[in-house]
Amino acid sequence: MEALVGLLTGFGVIMTPANLYLCFLGSLIGTLVGVLPGVGPLAALALLLPVTFTLSPVGGMVMLASIFYGAMYGGSTTSILLNIPGEAASVVTCIDGHQMAKQGRAGAALGIAAIGSFVAGTLGVIVMTFCAPAIAAVAIRFGPPENFALMVLGVVCTLFMITRSPVKGALMIALGFLTATVGIDVVNGRERFTFGSVDLSAGIELLAVVIGLFGVTEILSNVEATVKSTVVAERIRGLWPTLADWRASWRPMLRGSGLGFFLGLVPGGGPVTASFMSYAVEKRISARPERFGKGAIEGVAGPESANNAAVAGSLIPVLSLGIPGNPVTALLLGALVIQGIQPGPLFITQRPDLFWGIVASMYVGNVFLLLLNLPLVGLWAQLLRIPYRVLFPIVLLLSVVGTYSANKNVFDLWVMLGFGIAGYVLHKLNYDLAPFIIAFVLAPLLEQSLRQSLAMSPHGAMIFIERPATLLMLLCSAGLIALMLRPLPNTKGGRL
Amino acid sequence: MGPAGACLAPRTRTKPGDQWFAVTEMFERAVNIFWVLLGAAAASYAWTLGIIGSSGPDSGLFPFVSALMIMGSGLVLLLQPRDAALAPDFPRGAALGRVLGASGGLAFMAISIPFLGFAVAGFVTMIILLHTIEKSGWVFSVSLAFVSVAAVDWLFGRVLGMALPSGPWGW
Repeated sequence: MEALVGLLTGFGVIMTPANLYLCFLGSLIGTLVGVLPGVGPLAALALLLPVTFTLSPVGGMVMLASIFYGAMYGGSTTSILLNIPGEAASVVTCIDGHQMAKQGRAGAALGIAAIGSFVAGTLGVIVMTFCAPAIAAVAIRFGPPENFALMVLGVVCTLFMITRSPVKGALMIALGFLTATVGIDVVNGRERFTFGSVDLSAGIELLAVVIGLFGVTEILSNVEATVKSTVVAERIRGLWPTLADWRASWRPMLRGSGLGFFLGLVPGGGPVTASFMSYAVEKRISARPERFGKGAIEGVAGPESANNAAVAGSLIPVLSLGIPGNPVTALLLGALVIQGIQPGPLFITQRPDLFWGIVASMYVGNVFLLLLNLPLVGLWAQLLRIPYRVLFPIVLLLSVVGTYSANKNVFDLWVMLGFGIAGYVLHKLNYDLAPFIIAFVLAPLLEQSLRQSLAMSPHGAMIFIERPATLLMLLCSAGLIALMLRPLPNTKGGRL
Repeated sequence: MGPAGACLAPRTRTKPGDQWFAVTEMFERAVNIFWVLLGAAAASYAWTLGIIGSSGPDSGLFPFVSALMIMGSGLVLLLQPRDAALAPDFPRGAALGRVLGASGGLAFMAISIPFLGFAVAGFVTMIILLHTIEKSGWVFSVSLAFVSVAAVDWLFGRVLGMALPSGPWGW
């Protein structure tokens, strides 16, 4: 009942011309970002983050969130028509979606992708409506030791879920922590790793790091490869799926929604993992798995539903616990902090307008996206003709503007360039960049919780063992680390 | 889309025995040594900040632990055998030129913005990038650079009210 009242409050907040416009604008930009290969949702969010500084917190967050889930809708268009994913969560849609397009069924594939996205997005946000306040109600009883253990568990989960090499992942996390300590220690005002530089004493700017790691790195990766692609379908017909398509797709949509939502909740899960897992599940349980890879509509319906449901799932930990599970939610957390708002267990009670406004905007945004993606699919297909060589200098220009506008400091441009080149090299060396950014955003809170825990404890680090919830979370973290280091079959060592 | 899209691009991977493979192996080792040195240096610096003070944990504790993690991970990476299948696939030839060109363009913009302002620095950078890296014609490069810079300047500078850096001529 409380959730429904909250939701009504949210609709009251969102149903203003300004907020509806921002929700629509975010959905439009998100779809555009999803459609255009070479511009990921994270880079787009980072580039547009400074724009939200001039907006109200509700308007800014509504716009950023709608870009995030809008990109999930748009990503399928490029995958189906070009065989190039518009963003990482749509990689798996290429497999069967593009085959369908080659068989003259591009319309059905695009239609089922949009409808699956709408169904999963809406189901996800319904569950979020009731789930997030319940989680926050539990987490409100947490003290600094529990918060510390929860963040450690979140970081370890991220490591477990997304990194191919736990050692490289751990290194990136530690590097993220260390980078975040540059600047003035807020507890005692002491300078750390500034080496007398005035620019460094303000700390490393989040925007410069994100735009560098995910914007510039993407540009460099994309200008390196020259991929020529052709749009398969000139005119798209038959967007509304046939009865047979519906029969084949409704179960994968529901399974994808459930799986995606759950994987979104888990730190490190998120839309990319969800879409891959959904595809694997659909193939595994199919009576005719040999159809997969040859244009099976289940291979589009499941993953596209999963990546959208994962967006709603991934927003729960960040809004109710203040713990981001992937780089995009880390950036959203950063955006809230920049606005002077600290997400966490108290967020829902302290800022109900903001929390419920974001939730309500997701219901509205899903309707906008369905309208944008089905009737306007022809327009998006035309946009695919824009060559990347035209796009990349513009993205580069936006990167510079986005970075500079945060502090009006040229030093940030050098930070962006440094992180961009470092990110490109590290990506080549098979380092995942996501753990770095999650650690970078979490570090101040983690350090604060650690210091508060140790300061309040008469027995030092024993405080983490004396409290049952803390102990349980740390044991779970240790268990996951042990799982990562266990020797895999047919390998001599663990997956180091 | 970098990682996602790049996986679909046709690439020629380096193989053991290839001279380039040896170069990348050396580079990878150098990076691992860098981690160890960075971790050690950061840990020693953090130690000087103080680990535990009279009123509890001090400023150096968190960076010290982070630095030890970097050093430890670097050591493990340095000691573990190299997996040839995961050899880094660095660009060569024209691809390397494009990557260096884009990086150089950004560096030029960072250097020139304080002196030329956003509009002129962006215009010049875009022309250079389009003409040299993407081999676009002069007319196309100049036209696209002008339209893009004007659009970004109008959107961010005028509509959104951001103070974009201006040159000595006031814009």
